Amino acid sequence: MTLTLLLLIPFLGALGLSLWPRTLCEVVARRTAIVLLIIQLLLSLRVIFLFDSTDGGMQLQEGLYWLSSLGLDYRLGIDGLSLPLVLINAVLTLVAAIVSRSISQRPRLYFCLLLVISGAVNGAFLSQNLLLFFLFYELELIPLWLLISVWGGSNRAYAATKFLIFTAVSGMLILGAFLGLAFATGSVDFSLTPVTTLQLSMGGQILLLSALLIGFGIKVPLFPFHTWLPDAHTEASTPVSVLLAGVLLKLGTYGILRFGMGLFPEAWSVLAPGLAIWAAISVLYGSLAAIAQVDMKRMVAYSSVGHMGYVLLAAAAATPVSLLGSVFQMVSHGLISALLFMLVGVVYKATGTRNLDVLRGLLNPERGLPLTGSLMILGVMASAGLPGMAGFISEFLLFRGSIEKFPIATLLSMVGSALTAVYFLLLVNRAFFGRLAVTPVDPNSGPLDIRIPASTLVEQLPSLMLAGSVVFIGLWPTSLASITESATNSMAQLMSTLSIVLPIGVTP
Amino acid sequence: MTSAKITLSQPLVSAAELQRRLLAGQTLLADTPDHLLEVVGVLESYGEVLDAYSINLIYQAERQFLNPFPVFRFFDGDINPAKIWRHLNHDRINFEYAEYCQKAMFWHATGGLDAYLDSSSFLESCKAIIEKKRRNDPLLSLLHPLFPGFLLELIRSAATTHALGQFWRVMSDLFLDLARAQRQGQVSNIEQVVEFIKHGLVAAAANLITYAVEIHGHKLWVLPPEAGLSFLADVAVPYVEAVFLRGMPFLGTVSFNAQAQQISPDQASFTYGALYADPLPTMGAGIPPSLLMQDMYRHLPESLHSWYLQRTRGEADVRVKICTSFQKSMFCVTEAAIRGTLPNSLQTKELSQQQANADYAGAWAGRLAKGRTDCLAAV
Repeated sequence: MTLTLLLLIPFLGALGLSLWPRTLCEVVARRTAIVLLIIQLLLSLRVIFLFDSTDGGMQLQEGLYWLSSLGLDYRLGIDGLSLPLVLINAVLTLVAAIVSRSISQRPRLYFCLLLVISGAVNGAFLSQNLLLFFLFYELELIPLWLLISVWGGSNRAYAATKFLIFTAVSGMLILGAFLGLAFATGSVDFSLTPVTTLQLSMGGQILLLSALLIGFGIKVPLFPFHTWLPDAHTEASTPVSVLLAGVLLKLGTYGILRFGMGLFPEAWSVLAPGLAIWAAISVLYGSLAAIAQVDMKRMVAYSSVGHMGYVLLAAAAATPVSLLGSVFQMVSHGLISALLFMLVGVVYKATGTRNLDVLRGLLNPERGLPLTGSLMILGVMASAGLPGMAGFISEFLLFRGSIEKFPIATLLSMVGSALTAVYFLLLVNRAFFGRLAVTPVDPNSGPLDIRIPASTLVEQLPSLMLAGSVVFIGLWPTSLASITESATNSMAQLMSTLSIVLPIGVTP
Repeated sequence: MTSAKITLSQPLVSAAELQRRLLAGQTLLADTPDHLLEVVGVLESYGEVLDAYSINLIYQAERQFLNPFPVFRFFDGDINPAKIWRHLNHDRINFEYAEYCQKAMFWHATGGLDAYLDSSSFLESCKAIIEKKRRNDPLLSLLHPLFPGFLLELIRSAATTHALGQFWRVMSDLFLDLARAQRQGQVSNIEQVVEFIKHGLVAAAANLITYAVEIHGHKLWVLPPEAGLSFLADVAVPYVEAVFLRGMPFLGTVSFNAQAQQISPDQASFTYGALYADPLPTMGAGIPPSLLMQDMYRHLPESLHSWYLQRTRGEADVRVKICTSFQKSMFCVTEAAIRGTLPNSLQTKELSQQQANADYAGAWAGRLAKGRTDCLAAV
């Protein structure tokens, strides 16, 4: 029942908020959402205590027969792959609600949509049925589209529509792959089992896996399907960017690991070298594109393209260490990118710009944003993989786990990691070091007075919490490894067993 | 490090406008109640700080004379564990700023005092002092033959230190008197502030600057009365030149590339003094004027402190606001010095005298116009 509660709390909360008969002001709507999300977080933490970390399989399974004739059953379960993501979802949705201030326009709808997204993401991570996963996967699209198109920036209509089209195509490809699997195997059993796919020819498996890879590759996003992400981030408000980067992109990587690798292990082994190269290209493209950006938010968005590519590399290698690294990367990227987007949001709110040609010296202790700058330095150090922080652990595991299988792709990805230091040092050097200035873009508009409002400690608490988590995982990685290792070991075991039993390229 | 363009809050005032105001007898700083509060308040706190600086500089020059290891030079002779703890805990006046000003004066070396430090009579005095001092000091006995110019330079430095201490004694009393006069209603606008300071400077203008040290019970002159060094011409004007105008390029958030001549090879054209200082990097590590702002912050009158609390970030950026107020007050002091040293009365009808005044004011206006004149306008 605990897992069902993780769905019920946000969904019923959203329903209650939207149907509440009286007028709800922004403060009440926000506080209600925060209370509900705190309960959701506490429940998610309770799952850790109920969870047996030595068991690599699905646990706490719950289910109801629903539309069995269609293969759609309500089946939930959790393992070491989904548990960290459920926790990240709980933390980041709460953080997004906390930093959602001054929602003057339809606050009740805004917080309802946040709750729906959180519930849908939980549903997607917990689903043990392909169609149920697809329902939840699609369910988060509309709220996110609304959050961008209603509360976004000046070019929000373009960005939101682009996001909707890309992710709708992603959904169609995923649904197509699931239905294709049912059609090819002649079964309407949509439960998670790789055995059925082994009945397919290698060509069929590769076709269906390719559809899934492109579908989830759009969501991750991987080059060349990434173009919606920088636009969506640029136009989205800070809390929505936090959710988008921290949680929603993980649906793509989770889908690749759970359904791509999990359902088609044999085809996966065949495609793995190509996937590793694709990952390296995505990493390098994302990093090089980030260097060229002058908008801080676009820079962080492109860094996501690069950093999510690591997960594909690790999945392609499919060794126990690399798969553990992929989970670490999903968690650390979720925390770090959420932190960076929040800090960029603070800078934007204070200065009215994110332009790196305009901002200078924000670390100034008296008139600048010293705490924001300090946290930004910590965030970019973590993102660049400096020891002592979460980014280092995940990148070390990823590269260590992948280099023996795909040395070239891993080395190229390591170059991408070095490029992270390049673009983020550019960001910090331009915006935070030097003499404080907010020089106008148009030189004819005259000099501006430096009157940046101070950012209070209370406003920065969510960022401090995330920064603390990044350091905590960096210093005590066992905390995360202990709940994940069994599951990733099982996944790696499956891949290695198949490679022994089934010589690659030969159908049974 | 980036070489940042300084961002000004108001358009700069032209040199011609500054010259016009000087010749018309108008104040450079706009006359507003806020400016009066800022200038008098910040000068009162400056007066308190200068009092401590002055006492310490005179103590250093007289009691730490030719001490090669003046570890306790900031203690004014009162060395006890509590004071050492407060010193280490930085609960103290930043005497380092006074030393910075002394070094600026010593290095820029303008005016009569510096000329005297190279005179034959000064060298004779130094010879006698060194001879006396060496008798019971084996370290100095060893150092002097090896480095004959070393002790000489130390005595020159000590002479500048003492002279600056004497100058600040007068200025401290003057600024504290100004605050008292304002409280008593004798000063109620910026014009009266400038005139008050001018009268104070003029009254002390002819004061002799002298300096003697006592070695083994003998009093020996370093700057004897016969040298004829006076307060205004030989110390005050070089001080303004060195500290208000020229200053020294120090490491801060803006870096200078001397090889690319970002620092002028002509020392006389330096513009790193208090009137040119950018208030924003104040309190950055390693920036000497930030020490002064910290000292003044500890002695702010309550009225000015609460005025600061109501503006921009309140307590958080109070040192930046003190720096801006300090620059306003320094424009007033500089204007008072210009008025006091004008070659002729402003009321003169004679054309040649008017021209001399115009040239003098024009030369000053040209230099001041490059400073932080954005602080002069009424906000």
